[in-house]
Amino acid sequence: MNWMKAIVCMSGISCFMTACSLDNYEAPTSAIYGSFIDQETGELIEQDIVRGTQIEYQEGRFVANQYMVVKPDGTYRNNLLFNGVYKFTPVRGNFEPIDPVTVEITRDTKLDFQVIPFLRIKHVSIFKNGNKVKAIFRIQQTGFDNVLKVGLYAGADKAAGATVNQSAVEIPVGATVSEDQSFTIEMDIVNNPRLKKGFTYYFRVGAVIDAPEAKFNYAPAVELTL
Amino acid sequence: MKLLQYILPVTLLMATATSCNKLDLKPLDKLDGNAMFSDPQGVKLYMANLYYQLPIEDFNFMRGGFNDWIGENMVSAHFTDEAVHSNYLDFLTTGNFHWWEQGYKLIRDVNIFSDAIPQLRVSEDEKNKMRGESAFIKAYTYYALAKRYGGVSIIDSVQKYEGDVEVLKVPRSTEKETWDFVMTQCDIAIQHLPETWPGGERRATKWVAAALKTRAALHAASIAKFGDRAVLSGEAVSRKLVGIEKMYANDYYRQVIDAANLLMENGPFALYKPNPASPEEAAENYRKMFEDPSVAPEEAIFIKGFTKVDLGHNYDIYYNPAQTANGWPHPGRINPTLEFIDLFESYAQPGQSSPIRTSAAANDITDYSGFNPAKNYYRFDHPSDIFEGKDARLWGTVILPGTQWKNTEIVIQAGFIKPDGTPQIMEGNPYTHTDGKTYHVFGSSDRTQYSGFDSYGGNYTRTGFSFKKFLDQRIPVVYGYSKGLTDYIDFRYAEVLLNFAEAVVESGITDNNAVAKATAALNAIRKRAGHTQDIPLTVENVQRERRVELAFENKRFWDLMRRREYHTLFQNTIMHALLPVVDLRVTPAQYIFIRTEVPRGWRYTFDPRQYYRYIPGIGSNGLVQNPQY
Repeated sequence: MNWMKAIVCMSGISCFMTACSLDNYEAPTSAIYGSFIDQETGELIEQDIVRGTQIEYQEGRFVANQYMVVKPDGTYRNNLLFNGVYKFTPVRGNFEPIDPVTVEITRDTKLDFQVIPFLRIKHVSIFKNGNKVKAIFRIQQTGFDNVLKVGLYAGADKAAGATVNQSAVEIPVGATVSEDQSFTIEMDIVNNPRLKKGFTYYFRVGAVIDAPEAKFNYAPAVELTL
Repeated sequence: MKLLQYILPVTLLMATATSCNKLDLKPLDKLDGNAMFSDPQGVKLYMANLYYQLPIEDFNFMRGGFNDWIGENMVSAHFTDEAVHSNYLDFLTTGNFHWWEQGYKLIRDVNIFSDAIPQLRVSEDEKNKMRGESAFIKAYTYYALAKRYGGVSIIDSVQKYEGDVEVLKVPRSTEKETWDFVMTQCDIAIQHLPETWPGGERRATKWVAAALKTRAALHAASIAKFGDRAVLSGEAVSRKLVGIEKMYANDYYRQVIDAANLLMENGPFALYKPNPASPEEAAENYRKMFEDPSVAPEEAIFIKGFTKVDLGHNYDIYYNPAQTANGWPHPGRINPTLEFIDLFESYAQPGQSSPIRTSAAANDITDYSGFNPAKNYYRFDHPSDIFEGKDARLWGTVILPGTQWKNTEIVIQAGFIKPDGTPQIMEGNPYTHTDGKTYHVFGSSDRTQYSGFDSYGGNYTRTGFSFKKFLDQRIPVVYGYSKGLTDYIDFRYAEVLLNFAEAVVESGITDNNAVAKATAALNAIRKRAGHTQDIPLTVENVQRERRVELAFENKRFWDLMRRREYHTLFQNTIMHALLPVVDLRVTPAQYIFIRTEVPRGWRYTFDPRQYYRYIPGIGSNGLVQNPQY
């Protein structure tokens, strides 16, 4: 009966061995990267990192949506994707909605999105003026929705914005604006518990339209030492 | 041998045939439905299990769910502007406050019961009570599901698996259909349930069902009215699985008003001690009602009791101030915020919040920049003097610095200002004054002798306020989990009055003298809190009253959700604290107060997708997922 025991043992062990090799998938090796680009000016579209634009994507028949966030400067990258065919849809962004894009991902795949931002923040100057940081800028609208508010945001890095900041000054607008109109926002830096003298902060100006799920548009952050 | 070959199979065949009959026994450890439910004791037994599973937001309702006996101590208030946690910095995540699988388990259990009713050998009267009680449980269950997930799969009778799993998959109803199902079940319950149970059992009555209806209909109405404050998009939205059209708002407000009217006109309820002689008495009455709800049967419509040590709750151990922890190592976990304190009216200025002023400076309320030597702070002999004249419920809900609790003066002190004007706040060494007295930063050298601001163990309040409501002042803290036996009031008359007032003021419905009745209801609650002047019925007054009266009763969390105010309130938002500081620049030393951001605090942003929880397990149940998950 020894041989029978041996067979049972062997088959048992071989079962386990097969299971091991089947489970042992390769780690994901492919990547996708790209930018959100203003199709008119060719500039990157600045973003919020928290509650900002997201890229919704689905792979094959996997039912759940997955999401990527976009970096503050308007670029994105995901280095841990499996090879396959994916559908990418930028959603709830600060630009006119665009159609989904289906792409086959192998190794490094580049996918740029050409979009029309809701607002362009133009002619920006941010500078220290005595006890205050002053921002002067203009807004160009691409649509007809009211501008809800404009803001000046200070933070420890370039992600400073409406949802992540050390200090913020917002001004409600509630009207459409023209490019002739100049906006000025001042932030007190002396009696401000969140900003310390001698430290360096990034300042970003932004504006948002009054539409459901619309996100802020920003000008690139400016570095200032207080 | 040939014969044997035949005999063996035949015997075996016979053996198996017999065994079939023999094994077809009634199991000895289970009762069939008819036997169980035809006996009132059996119904009681089964009901005890259903009530236990009911999603009552009591003392064991934590961010992880219901009936959480040990370990967790973050309640819904920690995720609102009512309080911060002394130790954790967590904000609401998508995994918090789910109730899905347990919800459908309860639905199956109640459906087993309701399916059995028609065949039972009991009187029609008994059957109607059962119909009412099962409808109440269904209403409560679907209410808890709808406020988390929006429209859900409505399963109103037991599903049987007969080989095809696909037929068991019920698609989601729209959010409106789900709320309407809750309304219908409430109506069945109101129609059939008795007004009381013999022996005063704590079971659902007609009145409890009506109270539930006011709460649920108010939620549905608010989603219809305020949904456009946070518009979502996606498949769940286009199929109306989440969201209700605005035009239905007044239908639901009307249902709140009708159900509340039923209670107010025909019910036996009233406010507990409605005419206090003084604010001090009002504060004590209010506190005692939560310390022991059985003193207030006129106000408590539905009570969940805790009777057995080790099957109790943990409010006393976790939320007492450090000084009265009685050896328990993790006290002081609920720290009411300055936002919450500021909300209260003062008797001198009825009808408006009366924020704590620390100086005469014009920007005093918004200045959070810390100690400023040039500022003329108001000085007080005693740390609780600054709260004089504030609404009695502040004193009944919160332990204020320097007040008495369990015969102990609760010391909450953030530091001192040295005679030369140097501030020493939340750090540094003791200071010996010229008068020979030594001042310690937190008020004492002994960690058991103060309750504020020390970061040690997360046991000390970091807002300047400690928690009081629901805690039992009469007994010392019992060391160990689940020893607390305070009963919880799930529905009380004051909430019904406030639901009614909100429905009237938000809907603009005026018939049947609604406005006058709502104004009277609002002011009756204020009068019970020691107010003497009536205020008009406005949206703002109703909401302030609601936040003050129902504080820490797990209401604020859902109010922010249903009124779609969460994402506006929490946008990179940090809560605030009030630092009581000893000022040694004057002799004798006096107290000054500093308004500041919560020490070691964090800024929070609410993501609008969190207005709905994600549907678990869509890979297998095939349901449409909620937006942005």
